[in-house]
Amino acid sequence: MSKTKNIGMSAYIIFLLLPIYWLLNMSFKHNDEILGKLSFWPQSFTLHNYQVIFSDPSWYMGYVNSIYYVLLNMVITLAVALPAAYAFSRFRFMGDKHLFFWLLTNRMAPPAVFLLPFFQLYSSVGLFDTHIAVALAHCLFNVPLAVWILEGFMSGVPREIDETAYIDGYSFTRFFTRIFIPLIRSGIGVTAFFCFMFSWVELLLARTLTSVNAKPIAAVMTRTVSASGIDWGVLSAAGVLTIVPGILVVWFVRNHVAKGFALGRV
Amino acid sequence: MLKHQKLQLQLKPVAMALLIAGFSQAAFADQYSDAAQQWANDEFVPSTLSQAQQLEELQWFIEAAKPYRGMEINVASETITTHEYEAKTLAKAFFEITGIKINHDLIQEGDVVEKLQTQMQSGRNIYDGYINDSDLIGTHSRYGQVVPISDMMAGDSKDVTLPTLDIEDFIGISFTTGQDGKIYQLPDQQFANLYWFRADWFERDDLKEKFKMEYGYELGVPLNWSAYEDIAEFFSEKVKTIDGQTVYGHMDYGKKDPSLGWRFTDAWLSMAGAGDKGLPNGLPVDEWGIRVEGCQPVGSSVSRGGATNGPAAVFATAKYVEWLQKYAPPEAQGMTFGEAGPVPAQGNVAQQIFWYTAFTADMTKPGLPVVNEDGTPKWRMAPSPRGPYWEEGMKLGYQDAGSWTFLKSTPLDRRQAAWLYAQFVVSKTVSLKKTLVGLTPIRESDINSQAMTDAAPKLGGLVEFYRSDARVQWTPTGTNVPDYPKLAQLWWQYVAEAASGEKTPQQAMDGLAAAQDKVLQRLERSKAQGACGPKLNEEKDPEFWLSQAGAPKAKLANEKPQGKTIAYSDMFSK
Repeated sequence: MSKTKNIGMSAYIIFLLLPIYWLLNMSFKHNDEILGKLSFWPQSFTLHNYQVIFSDPSWYMGYVNSIYYVLLNMVITLAVALPAAYAFSRFRFMGDKHLFFWLLTNRMAPPAVFLLPFFQLYSSVGLFDTHIAVALAHCLFNVPLAVWILEGFMSGVPREIDETAYIDGYSFTRFFTRIFIPLIRSGIGVTAFFCFMFSWVELLLARTLTSVNAKPIAAVMTRTVSASGIDWGVLSAAGVLTIVPGILVVWFVRNHVAKGFALGRV
Repeated sequence: MLKHQKLQLQLKPVAMALLIAGFSQAAFADQYSDAAQQWANDEFVPSTLSQAQQLEELQWFIEAAKPYRGMEINVASETITTHEYEAKTLAKAFFEITGIKINHDLIQEGDVVEKLQTQMQSGRNIYDGYINDSDLIGTHSRYGQVVPISDMMAGDSKDVTLPTLDIEDFIGISFTTGQDGKIYQLPDQQFANLYWFRADWFERDDLKEKFKMEYGYELGVPLNWSAYEDIAEFFSEKVKTIDGQTVYGHMDYGKKDPSLGWRFTDAWLSMAGAGDKGLPNGLPVDEWGIRVEGCQPVGSSVSRGGATNGPAAVFATAKYVEWLQKYAPPEAQGMTFGEAGPVPAQGNVAQQIFWYTAFTADMTKPGLPVVNEDGTPKWRMAPSPRGPYWEEGMKLGYQDAGSWTFLKSTPLDRRQAAWLYAQFVVSKTVSLKKTLVGLTPIRESDINSQAMTDAAPKLGGLVEFYRSDARVQWTPTGTNVPDYPKLAQLWWQYVAEAASGEKTPQQAMDGLAAAQDKVLQRLERSKAQGACGPKLNEEKDPEFWLSQAGAPKAKLANEKPQGKTIAYSDMFSK
């Protein structure tokens, strides 16, 4: 039984990893080889494609820009969502349930709906083509999600802990930072992970709200497509490099995420 | 007295500062001239100008750019070798020579158009200049958002217009001229869509003999579609293998993908002979099948006087589908433009009727199966064969002319600084070098230069084509198309229906013509395009239009006349 399970599992993982292997494989090949013949590993191994990316600022700055606005977005989202989620979890006020649900409906609209308003607004106030513009735009989608996830975790922490802390003479700020946040550490990890995931792969807003200075890597990648064909090798190398930050994030938050999935509202 | 002395004391540091500033100004001026000298020595060779003339031109740039020094300007273009050269080398040179920093952004062509449209629709400045295909000339001349460069040159930017720009020298200036006679865009790079074939196979005696026996005429560069079809059949079905390798007489692509639209909007119908006579584009009906009256588009269905679903267009579509299925490699059906492009370089395709010269550099790389050991290509390009509906005086193929485009929503000083850069990258000082790097000629003087003669043997006929009279028959989309982005995106969806066999060519083109008319109607209702906006004709019996002279042309009784070919060596002497 367990043997068949293992075989099934391995087959599934191989199946999942195949496209990623193929991407990696292509990134070490020349275009002639990619287009010319079917080879399961690079026949003439080359790092040229990576060299193109790392030697050209207009390429690697795409990564820097993306990482910058994604981190900015994670920080803003958590800073806003933590107090908000605490309020939803601990206080009862008029319309709280409706407001809570309304937050989630923001995520139900496709990003394209907000495209033009954002563009007009940011151009008027001089935020167009800045990192903060993209980070703020992504907050529209990430803050509701973060509030929902964090509220689940916070509600899992008994209210008595808050009260005990106050009896012990903790101020709210001290209680929140010293006791409460460590208790929902996993939740924060999960939230940060989801913020990252959305912001890192989102293309539409990021592309429309930037032109030169804050251009995301996904927009830079389109330059491999031209009237004389597609530069498959460089495109694959760029693709591989876009996966790397994701892998790093997953690696660092893997324990939290596992716990988070088990406990929280994900 | 004391007071006077005090003033003097106060003035001293000011004077000193002024003196230093003056010195550094002088130092800067030297710095720019030095840079000009160095770039002229190291990079801008060869040139059609003497070095003294080059330096004079560069000196003009140094002076003209003075008010804009320190500015940072953003321009956008698609990604081809020419633009890469501009972005990496010329932008740097321009900065060192003028002190204006240029961010020359390379993005996918579709994205350039998208950014341009966003700026046009929102009125917010995104880029200070665009290199946008002149296919949008009808769009730009109608929406009133673009500053015509002829207005700039005579008006607000007169002082920053290069005296030696020599507009007459640009071979593509008619492409960028609107119906009103104004020049809207300045060509920056051009490449054509030509016939491509394996000259080495066409020269083989055994193949020549066999072809003559089968078809009764010589194997050579086909002059008409009948001959192209015969040659395609010959290689795919009669020859089948050469030196042990399976070969095909045709290459194309057919995947349902936006790139399938270019296969048609890049003048395929005009090659068959749809549309009217007239250069650069047919009038009153162009190769998209859109009829204009005065300057107003009045319809594209035959019932409205257009030719998008006329017999010639349907014939062109039917032949595209038939050849793809019968003579191209089986995998071509599932390929996009980008995937199909490099296939002929792999050495098993004998000819291709629809081939962009943008592939020239990639197909002359040493070591390829289609390149000789001495680096000369085994293939040649030649003017494309014409379909049975084609008549003398019509356009015959497509030429892409990426051209500088400036929008009214860009602030004046930024537009002027970008205009300086635009003129720099097409100036005679740099343009020959740029042409040799990117193989996208824009100037008559470059084409006729000795350097191009020297490069010709390795370029497979590119130089010969651009020097021949045939060149003028290769033109981009013209002024009949009132909104290129809205209309172009319709094509691939309908063509794909024909390519997959889902619909007959007639049904597919009927659908396309109706869809085009719908867009024209929407533009008419929106009244966004002013006096030259569309105004649809009433629908009439198609026979009414087909029985009149010109396009839409009635169906020919014989769509396959006798095949005709010509030896490549005789081609350009005629």
